[in-house]
Amino acid sequence: MYIIIVGGGKIGYHLAKALLDEGHEILVTEKDADISETICNELGSVCVRGDGCEAATLDEIGAGRADMLIAVTGDDEDNLVACQVAKHKFNVPRTIARISNPKNEAIFKKLGIDVTVSSTNVILESIEEEVPTHPLTHLLTIRDKGLEIVEVKILPESTTVGKSVKELSLPPESVLSLIIGKGQKPRIPTADTILQAEDRIIAVTNPESEEALRTALRGT
Amino acid sequence: MKVVIMGCGRVGAQLATLLDAEGHLVTVLDTDTYSFRRLPSIFSGTALLGDGTDEESLKKAGIEEADAFFAITQGDNRNVMAAQIAKHIFNVPKVICRIYDPLRRELYNTLGIEAFSPTTIFAQMLKEKLED
Amino acid sequence: MEFHKILVPVSGTEADGEAMRIACRLAKKNKAKIWAVYIIAVKRSLPLDAEIESEIRKAENILDHVESVAEEQDYEVETDLLQAREVAPSIVDEAVERGADLILMGVTYKKRFGQFSLGNVVPYVLKNAPCHVILYHQPIE
Repeated sequence: MYIIIVGGGKIGYHLAKALLDEGHEILVTEKDADISETICNELGSVCVRGDGCEAATLDEIGAGRADMLIAVTGDDEDNLVACQVAKHKFNVPRTIARISNPKNEAIFKKLGIDVTVSSTNVILESIEEEVPTHPLTHLLTIRDKGLEIVEVKILPESTTVGKSVKELSLPPESVLSLIIGKGQKPRIPTADTILQAEDRIIAVTNPESEEALRTALRGT
Repeated sequence: MKVVIMGCGRVGAQLATLLDAEGHLVTVLDTDTYSFRRLPSIFSGTALLGDGTDEESLKKAGIEEADAFFAITQGDNRNVMAAQIAKHIFNVPKVICRIYDPLRRELYNTLGIEAFSPTTIFAQMLKEKLED
Repeated sequence: MEFHKILVPVSGTEADGEAMRIACRLAKKNKAKIWAVYIIAVKRSLPLDAEIESEIRKAENILDHVESVAEEQDYEVETDLLQAREVAPSIVDEAVERGADLILMGVTYKKRFGQFSLGNVVPYVLKNAPCHVILYHQPIE
């Protein structure tokens, strides 16, 4: 495939490198003379100095026969225009724009850009994966046994409020060791202990069962 | 009429002043408050710090009720993007945009954006001066 | 100085002939190998392996010319026609690949924006060549 990359910053550079390794024909356009020269020195004659939003530049670098254009400059508006010029003037079949402002995702879609990649959203998604919306706090890791002590807080809206411990489908590797109720003394849970809102439950579990434990204690 | 102007440069400030003097409701957006020094003290419209390519800033500027939107910052691409948002997302009835690059202007005209290129207009004007 | 593998990039200027004559003279002593290469710069709007008739014909004429110059010198040269996106890096690449110990190229007096200019090929080759480089500069008539 012939792929044009607009913007020779870090993303553009590494993208070009990776796509060249995959055997594609690549061309980077970059406004800055020094950056452009560095790319040519390091990756071969694959960079042309110019403004990738200008039809004249895109014409010179053969956008007419390109299979794809990827705009990865740091400015959303530049990426939008590069993609639109490529699409409407040179009929490039596929255009991809990098966006910084996540709100632009919907706007770009509406304005005809095939794919948008929002670095902000990508990072946000990983944070959400890393920090579950129903948190469970790690208190201590018992390393040589592969166990950990965690705390799970029961919320007023948890579906397990009012249920007894024996009604919970706890994972076999987990043991509830302590319940600290609001304004109460800590108690050791038995099968008949009823869960209340604001209870803080200290449990021992292995890391694999963490998720199941959390679900069992807080419901869905 | 309610008018939103993006970019308070010489042209933006001048346009805002003219429209304001005629009694239109004018809001001027700029990413730098220093630009607002160009507005005269008698300007009775609103000057708002904000980026016209950002949906929220446009909403704050009252784009949803605007009758007209002008995109006249220094950046062609910013103008083009803001103009498209105004036209296609907020359905502003009259959207006008400045694009210095004549080739880009041509393309966006065909895409339904009313755009003017000062480059073409001024060069043409100078040429006509010579022919007078 | 002795050379064994000489690369003579030609570009169709008047300096090509004399550059080739010098190359032949330098080569004779050690029976050095001479390659005359012409590089067609293919525009990005075309694939690299596009066959551009007019360019190929022009290139062949130029290579024929330097070959005949070599024959006059009673020396045999190999000619090559190559295609690349950019001429200068391609010359350096060829020198590396063929293990050339000399690049000998002719230049003519050129002006760009009213100033004397070496163009962009010569400075790049001087900067990046892994071997000796000899420039033959053709005086203005």
